[in-house]
Amino acid sequence: MKKDVFAICVVIFLLVLIFSGTKIQSVDDYYLTHIDDIKEDSETVFLTIRCDTALDNWDDLDPALRYERYVPADGIILPRTEYVLRAGDTAYSVLDRAVRYNKIHMECSYSVNYSSVYVQGINQLYEFSCGELSGWMYMVNGVFPNYGCSKCTLSDGDEVVWCYTCDLGRDVGCEWGLMK
Amino acid sequence: MKYFDRLHPVSALAYFLSMLLIAMLTMHPVIISVCYLSGIIFCGMLTGYKNLLKSLAYSLPLTVIIAVTNPLFSHRGETILFFLNDNPVTQESILYGVFASLMLMSVFYWCKNYSAVMTSDKFIYLFGRIIPKLSLVLSLILAFIPKMKRKFREIDEAQKALGIYASKSYVDKIRSKMRVLSILLTDSLENSVETADSMRARGYGLKHRTSYALYRFGLSDGLFLAATLALAAADVVLIIFGASSFNFYPALSAVGFSALPCALYVCIALLGFMSFFAEVKENVLWRLLKSKI
Repeated sequence: MKKDVFAICVVIFLLVLIFSGTKIQSVDDYYLTHIDDIKEDSETVFLTIRCDTALDNWDDLDPALRYERYVPADGIILPRTEYVLRAGDTAYSVLDRAVRYNKIHMECSYSVNYSSVYVQGINQLYEFSCGELSGWMYMVNGVFPNYGCSKCTLSDGDEVVWCYTCDLGRDVGCEWGLMK
Repeated sequence: MKYFDRLHPVSALAYFLSMLLIAMLTMHPVIISVCYLSGIIFCGMLTGYKNLLKSLAYSLPLTVIIAVTNPLFSHRGETILFFLNDNPVTQESILYGVFASLMLMSVFYWCKNYSAVMTSDKFIYLFGRIIPKLSLVLSLILAFIPKMKRKFREIDEAQKALGIYASKSYVDKIRSKMRVLSILLTDSLENSVETADSMRARGYGLKHRTSYALYRFGLSDGLFLAATLALAAADVVLIIFGASSFNFYPALSAVGFSALPCALYVCIALLGFMSFFAEVKENVLWRLLKSKI
């Protein structure tokens, strides 16, 4: 009987561990209705989300996504907007706040290999949705950092662009994509 | 099982293979539902409805578990229900999980029907001379699970008699079951080698060997085969022409009810329920003939 008690304790401990690691939010709780106001002394960054390359490779695009609401005709999912920079903000956390505020769908996961967040899809447009070399990349001040988005800390006035590539970055001007 | 018992193995094999092919070909909800329903109804016919309920008691919870697992890993879809660890859980991904698991289950039940009808002697009758080694291996594999279930019970009872389940602790009980499983694995390994040896000793795979059961390809076998092949070909052609196009992501597309999709549904329903009605017809005939005596 001692063994049974021990086994039950282990199972309960595992269940508690799983449930303490999960966070369940309703749709209203997840989306932000209000975002930090920009004051005169606040530090800010600019964020754009665009998918022009999907328009250029329309034939490769998943037929289910060939609609204005997934891939807009001008290729801009989120126009260039100014957001307040909080201390320790990364390219990922600004994107996260922006999609929550604008009610844009996003899926991401934490990658242990790169110890960073990986963004799989924004606005139902996913990696591999437009050919097998497609996916989301980010650019800070015109440069593609060669590390994960939640490792990239931002500073005042940074220009962050999340862009969709259909060719491993080569079609959006990523230089390390050209290297072998 | 009256009709399928006498049906020529070629017709039966063609029927089951085409049913399995169609069940795996598309993710269209109507097609998957038809394949699943026809599969379980025919399974009830073959194995008895009591046995069917017993197997459903295992397979339905499994279906639910698979259906619930999908939204944990797939967050696509427009209709967001709630957020789990900052990722959306959507209605579309739950429905995708439901139909993926129904597809899995319909393949499972059609395989079950296959093994109920195509006994190993029928399979070896068909392929024993063309591909003797492969057909022996295949028939051994296909007979593996039912045989293991029987053997498991035997070992379990023998171990019980030896006093393995004396302890009341659940941990000990699980460990005893593990022991039975390990005995079962060793036994089945040994058994398959022994079967192969004994088959060879009896001259299996030699040229002029005849098979135990003889089947004659008659008119009704020909008709059944022709109907199977015609319906299966029609299904495959219609699917190639896009009659089964359906998207789960990002939003559920409408189920088509125009001429082409409807023709496809009818063809698949005819193919799926053909076996059931053939069996019912034979049963009714049997009753009629018996009542005349």
